[in-house]
Amino acid sequence: MDSQWSSSSFFDREKHVVFLQMMNQLLPADYQGQEINRLTLAYFAISGLHILGALDQVDKEEVSSWVLSLQAHPRNEAELNNGQFFGFHGSRSSQFPRDDNGVLIHNGSHLASTYCALAILKIVGYNFSCINSKSILTSMRNLQQPDGSFMPTHVGAETDLRFVFCAAAICSMLENWSGMDKEKAKEYILNCQSYDGGFGLIPGSESHGGATYCAVASLQLMGFIENDILSKSSSSSIINVPLLLDWSLQRQAADGGFQGRANKASDTCYAFWVGGVLRILGGYKFIDKKALHRFLLTCQSQYGGFSKFPGQLPDLYHSYYGFSAFSMLEEPGLIPICVELGIADIAAIGH
Amino acid sequence: MEWKEEGDKRPLSQRPEWSDVTPVPQDDGPNPVVPIAYKDDFTETMDYFRAVYFADERSLRSLHVTAEAILMNAGNYTVWHFRRLILEALNADLHEELDFIKKVANGNPKNYQIWHHRRWVAEKLGTDATSEELDFTKKILSLDAKNYHAWSHRQWVLQELGGWEDELDYCKQLLEDDIFNNSAWNQRYFVITKSPFLGGLEAMRESEVNYTVGAIIAKPENESPWRYLRGLYKDDTQSWVNDPQVSSVCLKVLSAKRSTVFALSTLLDLLCHGFQPSQDFINAVDALKTPDLDLSDSNLATAVCSVLGRMDPMRVNYWTWRKNKLPAQTA
Repeated sequence: MDSQWSSSSFFDREKHVVFLQMMNQLLPADYQGQEINRLTLAYFAISGLHILGALDQVDKEEVSSWVLSLQAHPRNEAELNNGQFFGFHGSRSSQFPRDDNGVLIHNGSHLASTYCALAILKIVGYNFSCINSKSILTSMRNLQQPDGSFMPTHVGAETDLRFVFCAAAICSMLENWSGMDKEKAKEYILNCQSYDGGFGLIPGSESHGGATYCAVASLQLMGFIENDILSKSSSSSIINVPLLLDWSLQRQAADGGFQGRANKASDTCYAFWVGGVLRILGGYKFIDKKALHRFLLTCQSQYGGFSKFPGQLPDLYHSYYGFSAFSMLEEPGLIPICVELGIADIAAIGH
Repeated sequence: MEWKEEGDKRPLSQRPEWSDVTPVPQDDGPNPVVPIAYKDDFTETMDYFRAVYFADERSLRSLHVTAEAILMNAGNYTVWHFRRLILEALNADLHEELDFIKKVANGNPKNYQIWHHRRWVAEKLGTDATSEELDFTKKILSLDAKNYHAWSHRQWVLQELGGWEDELDYCKQLLEDDIFNNSAWNQRYFVITKSPFLGGLEAMRESEVNYTVGAIIAKPENESPWRYLRGLYKDDTQSWVNDPQVSSVCLKVLSAKRSTVFALSTLLDLLCHGFQPSQDFINAVDALKTPDLDLSDSNLATAVCSVLGRMDPMRVNYWTWRKNKLPAQTA
């Protein structure tokens, strides 16, 4: 029997669990270039195992301690208000001890790492009342720009919709919206809606599946659009929903997969990004699930995990979004996900 | 201050200019998840980086070690940040820095940190950098005409530094290379709405509609110009409905009976917004029906939905839903 064929005819849950276990144990040197985002890689591995129904493979206490060790804490009220962001570092490579005078000069806290940290803590059921959320929420405001967008670190970096999403997800998980000005964030998001109904990463840029997810998930989390808006009789919305729906559905290409932009190749991860948009709007029922299922299986690796395109080697990012996509397709053995937070439903609701 | 093309390839521990520095290892602690199998040269470079970063040494050798660290890992924003501090402290020649960025970008054209750094340098150089930035993005786009970062940077350059004069021509040329390039269509929209030389969307509308209709006729299966056409009437749907060019391009494509899906969905949207179709439209849609479809009792919009369900089976559930949602009085 041709082993490549057999791994393409069904979702091989067991193989994926082994793949994640291996990644969890040790990532090959190819991942050196992503070391600054180790927390994100950990999120993919842990949330992935959770979705696959294999969270028992994870030592929850060890993971919680490690994640919490990456948090930056202000010494006092004055330090909290000095303009820095006190969140989580992505890894030790951006985390440095205080200097000899006890001053924290090197604070590499990052908004995306903070999102991943909190997501992991939700997944392992950590008691959120034990988290120092005040310093996160207070200092997060330093990252919001006058146009409503967010910078990921206080030392300066690009600002775009990805970090608006991170901010919204953080506030949602901490159940406290004092970390951001929602109205301003909403304005920025609306400025990102393109002429064709999708959203670009910054105002003026091309509509993109990932950016559209960030826009719609953020608006939903912030309460500016209702869940399953397509089933509701109210026709008004702050975004052009019919155009967005049409654009999103058109992203399912002839090969059954989802593309990130018009006239580009299908890629595994957009089954989550764009599929997620449709799920939030209540339009997931309009896709061709069989065709998507078929396409995704062509991206399933014989080694476990998923690749971006058919026939390539798997990576952690595309594997995670592949698993998320199969969860949305209600693959047996997988647990349901809360699309707008990017974690399992049960983690989002709380233990 | 020269960026050495062929730098010292010896390990840092063996280079005389580093002999007084004690490398600082990463304090990893326990490793419960996703530890990385670092290569030795990577570890060593980062150990020396940590040493100068921690000491806040903003010197030439620090600049060089940030370059080596970046070439190994262009995603480390801590290293980029420190490099910027050093460049400022040394009052470095930022034109040379643009060359360094070009070198790094060659291997990593889709890395956010590189583009952010490029913007930081360009911002400092101001309008001196305009033509170089337009050239640089053009080169990147000649290798990948859809590189999202390059397009964002180019839009930023135009808005902050100028250079709009040839942009519409550039879009035209890219579309001649590949009429399916959605990034080029998006840039075209950006130019006609924002260029200070062109008068804005409404002023440009007529000529743009002509151009777009031409693109549609050439390749009716191309989603981009259909979306663009609708976009030309953003916030003014009634004008879109009333423009005879819009409905007539639908009719042309339907009558040719090839690649009709976008023409059908555009017609559906027009009808939902009050378009009054002539008999020609009814005949054209009728001619597309397959034997299994009984359209005799249908109004046009319902017929269009039914035909779409056949022509675009991937979205059949959507077209059925659209059919069920049609207001009773649609033509």
